[in-house]
Amino acid sequence: MTLGIDVIQVLLLIVIAPLLRGMIGRVKARIQNRRGASVFRPYADLWKLFRKEDLVPLTASFLFRLCPIVLFAATLAAAAFVPVLHASSLLGNTGDFILLVYMLALARFFLVLGAMDGGSSFGGMGASREALVSTLAEAPLLLAMIAIAIVSHSASIASMVHWTAVRDPFQLSPVHAFALVALAMVTIAETGRVPVDNPVTHLELTMIHEAMVLEYSGPSLALIEWANSIKLTLMFTLLIGLFAPWGIAASLSFFGLGIAVATFALKIAILIVALAALESGVAKLRMYLVPQYLGIACAISVLAVVFTVFAR
Amino acid sequence: MNLSEFPLKFLLGGLLSTPAVACVSVRWKSVRPLATILPISALLAGAVAALQALTHGTRSAVDISWLAPLPFALSLDRLSAYFLLLICTVASPVAVFAASYLKRHYDDLRQCWILALLPLFLLSMVIVVAADTVFAFLFGWELMTLLSAALVAVDGWDGERRRAIFTYLLMMHAGAGAVFGAFFMLLPHSAGLDFASLRAAAPLLTGGVRGALFLLAFVGFGTKAGIVPLHVWLPKAHPIAPTPVSALMSGVMLKTAVYGFIRFTFDFLPARPAWWGYLVLAAGAISALLGVLFAIAEHDLKRLLAYHSVENIGIIYLGLGAAMIFDSQGAPMWAAVALSAALLHSLNHALFKSLLFLGAGAITDATHTQDMEELGGLLKRMRVTGIVFLVACCSIVGLPLFNGFVSEWLTFRSFVAGGELHSVLAAIVLPLAAGVLALVGGLAAACFAKVYGVAFLGRPRSAEADRAHEVPRLMQAGMGLLAAACLLIGIVPGIVLRLIDGVVQQVIPGAPAPSGFSGGLAQLLPWIAVFVIAISVGWFLVPRSTRVTSTWACGLPALDSRMQYTATSFSKPLRQVFSWAYKPDRTVTILPPEQPCFPASIAYRSVRTTSFERSLYQPALDGILTAAKRLRRMQTGNVQVYLLYLFLALVAALLYMRFA
Amino acid sequence: MGVVEFAAAKTLASSAVFLFITVLLIASAKRTVSCIVLFAVQCAVITAQIVAMASLRHSGDAVAVAVMVLLVKVLAIPYALLRVSARLKVSPKVSAATTPAQSAFIAAALILLAFAVVQPYARDFALDSEMLAAATAMVLTGGFLMVSRRKALMQVVGLLVLENGIFLLALTTTFGMPLVIEMGIFFDLLIWVLLMGVFIFRIRETFAHVDVSRLRRLRG
Repeated sequence: MTLGIDVIQVLLLIVIAPLLRGMIGRVKARIQNRRGASVFRPYADLWKLFRKEDLVPLTASFLFRLCPIVLFAATLAAAAFVPVLHASSLLGNTGDFILLVYMLALARFFLVLGAMDGGSSFGGMGASREALVSTLAEAPLLLAMIAIAIVSHSASIASMVHWTAVRDPFQLSPVHAFALVALAMVTIAETGRVPVDNPVTHLELTMIHEAMVLEYSGPSLALIEWANSIKLTLMFTLLIGLFAPWGIAASLSFFGLGIAVATFALKIAILIVALAALESGVAKLRMYLVPQYLGIACAISVLAVVFTVFAR
Repeated sequence: MNLSEFPLKFLLGGLLSTPAVACVSVRWKSVRPLATILPISALLAGAVAALQALTHGTRSAVDISWLAPLPFALSLDRLSAYFLLLICTVASPVAVFAASYLKRHYDDLRQCWILALLPLFLLSMVIVVAADTVFAFLFGWELMTLLSAALVAVDGWDGERRRAIFTYLLMMHAGAGAVFGAFFMLLPHSAGLDFASLRAAAPLLTGGVRGALFLLAFVGFGTKAGIVPLHVWLPKAHPIAPTPVSALMSGVMLKTAVYGFIRFTFDFLPARPAWWGYLVLAAGAISALLGVLFAIAEHDLKRLLAYHSVENIGIIYLGLGAAMIFDSQGAPMWAAVALSAALLHSLNHALFKSLLFLGAGAITDATHTQDMEELGGLLKRMRVTGIVFLVACCSIVGLPLFNGFVSEWLTFRSFVAGGELHSVLAAIVLPLAAGVLALVGGLAAACFAKVYGVAFLGRPRSAEADRAHEVPRLMQAGMGLLAAACLLIGIVPGIVLRLIDGVVQQVIPGAPAPSGFSGGLAQLLPWIAVFVIAISVGWFLVPRSTRVTSTWACGLPALDSRMQYTATSFSKPLRQVFSWAYKPDRTVTILPPEQPCFPASIAYRSVRTTSFERSLYQPALDGILTAAKRLRRMQTGNVQVYLLYLFLALVAALLYMRFA
Repeated sequence: MGVVEFAAAKTLASSAVFLFITVLLIASAKRTVSCIVLFAVQCAVITAQIVAMASLRHSGDAVAVAVMVLLVKVLAIPYALLRVSARLKVSPKVSAATTPAQSAFIAAALILLAFAVVQPYARDFALDSEMLAAATAMVLTGGFLMVSRRKALMQVVGLLVLENGIFLLALTTTFGMPLVIEMGIFFDLLIWVLLMGVFIFRIRETFAHVDVSRLRRLRG
């Protein structure tokens, strides 16, 4: 029975990912005093891209066409780890956070390789910058989740979510607070949002992710964009699940699931507004200040880990 | 002859007799294929012997004390068998590769030299791993050093190479001195020269003696393994060796040092205090981090791979250190998990590092250069090599579905469990070590994205790279076997983990089987593999129009290969962030010097001398030389002064005899 | 009453965490204005703590102290500092001797030091170890700010954070000093900040800079 709900969870994440992106864009536009595009615009973009031709550079090898689909498949597999509506997920019952983080790393590795196969300087530039950001973001990401795993005495994502869900919401332990701040900072870096990377820029000085996908078009580009949105959705869901999972369905009744859907929507809405406000209010960091930003996240996650000893 | 002893004897006999075949084949060329078939079959027999010992616990033994002045016996208990399996499974594909590679790159005489020395080198490693007496172990140890130096020297003996080989021999003997010293300190307490009596002698030692033994073993085996700061020989020796030899040195020889360390510390010295574990953990963390940082700055393919060996040995030592800490805190289950992580990583590293070196050899074969800045676009021209090299890159980075991930996962999980220990120090240090491992993993991913991206993807950066062609079938086969092993262990790790169970339970008595712990992962990985492959295949089966066109690059016309990112530019941001680890010497020469504003030429030269050589080894050497010069004053040249020295020594001995 | 007490207890339980986070962020901030705003946030958290304590202890004195903290430290002093900073027209950067990441790690180390140091006292005197550690961490970080920041205005902020720490320490151990003393301290603080504002302008006029590391005449 839970298998059905688990599959629905994954499909939900996949389907609402473009909507999330559209909503962030819309809220940002409203904050910046514009009208903004429709929230369903990313769906229209995906539909348009899937119907177009795939353009492949002459100098590229077969890896160029392989990378988008491997990236997409790995991100899908990662999305199957995260509990959305109730404290279990397709792969997250036995799968732990290390496997999740490394599936995302697999996706990113192939994206970087695909960028370098294009044969232009933009691809190499995006790949080199992405290598910098992802290298430095790996340690705080894993350390923050290790802190939570130590405190909840288990490493599987579903148990970590369940452990937090049965605790008192106001027992704000320092471990969770530090891990939340560190994970939030790393989420922004991993998903390529301001202040680390601007997702709507195409200026050479400021691109990281956009530079990597500059040579892609048509269905390949659609896969990459969709995978990026899925990654953002799954990081948000992970944040919600690890730090504020109250409302998650304990049993599989319709009422419980209904409450879970409503609370999930509410929490995602809060995160969307927060991200849009952050993106509108803060300037993008200079490339060489991003290591400082991630260094602060690392210091906070180290604190989270060390505080697990004091929290006993 | 007992049937179960046959594989081991065939292994030894086969390897021993190959040099004779090689010598014969100098004259009669038709015999030459036998010189490769014989060692390969001997190695396969060795693998069978190892599997026998691992699965059934049969202890095959060979005793040739009648041939040697001191007791010389080989026997396979589970730990030896595991490392023997490692040697045999990695060396067989390398030998297959070498069969074709040697023919293409060396003249007749050198080919035969290598074909004669290589099996002896493998034999020496087998002796080290299977030794059951002190004499056998030290004999094999010394033989390994000499034979590997000889194999490197076959390729040339001039200038820079001579200094590198000399440094290699020097450091190996310094390390061997420490290993010999450790054994000699232990011997007076034991009844005989075999390992069983050494094991029995250990409980009789005092804590101080045990500590000294551990430190000697740590330094001695650490020199051979390549722990920072004793690693300086690695990037000198590995790049200049012939490709199959570098693959074996990096993949297999370093693991014999790991074997020696495990055997000495875990088997001979029970009751390990916690500080040993912390020392090993710290050494592992520093080696891993510095190894990968130095690797990122390299653009010579083989030297980069040599530094990555330092990094991976660091990761193995992280697992060993964690195992020692867990053991001293009374958590045998987690000690077993950490030890199995270290053992599995040894096997994984042997597999993918040899594959990487063979790939580098294939690249050199096709393009005659080892410099990444002159490569590019090789995947289109060397498809099989490119695919297996990609498998190796994904394995060393530790991505899921490849073997590197499983051992790194086990190491991570043991660190996470360390956070729940009672000791506050352990509960803080172990999770932070996981942070270091995460950083190292990220840096390795960046480095290999650079290696693969610059060498195999994009446009070729030189005419040779453009003309590259695929390597012969045998070389492809050798690499393909290793790649298949990487994928197999990555998707179905249970096979090897079950073998490791037995080893761990022998080394750490009272530990439960650690493979049960990773059962969940072993279940998930095949499903994830099926899922990813199914989606990828399905995507390509859907008909879709594809058009080949020129690179867009925002509409820039006339792109050429020099507009791509080079290896140096790719790694620049990371080198900038970690600039404390590199201290290059930079000189800018402007010609002519009297016209600085309108120069005819400006030359920029940046040389990275390894910081360790400059700040650690050079001052130490200078100090030793100064002390030696001062000591030389005793050598007056006067005969009567020398007689005086003799007389004083006699008086001192008489006084000691009387009063001490 | 149950709800109010519940809210008060939960506020007290969770406020130490917010203080740790503000300490980290002040240490690693890059602009003077961010530091001043974070200081105001820190004081707001302390106000909430005092209100919670007041409702738990039913003491009117504490409410008066809370109001004073709100007016003086959350509103008046930051406003004065922001005005000075705007009129000074110097670069908005903090001019630190350490990079933001290094400062974050040093602040983390200071927090750990604070935690390690207060454990025996918290045990022996049955006090809240988190609050005590937060107060000690604020004192240490205030000192770190004064040592490593070169702007004169940042010296003021550093001293204010240090004073916050001492105030919180007094709050945790003695549940507040008598009202008269509190009022005296607050007015002292306000006057001192206003005077420092004037002094910084004078420093700028005399030396044409506000870089404290260049003021080297204090020797014999």
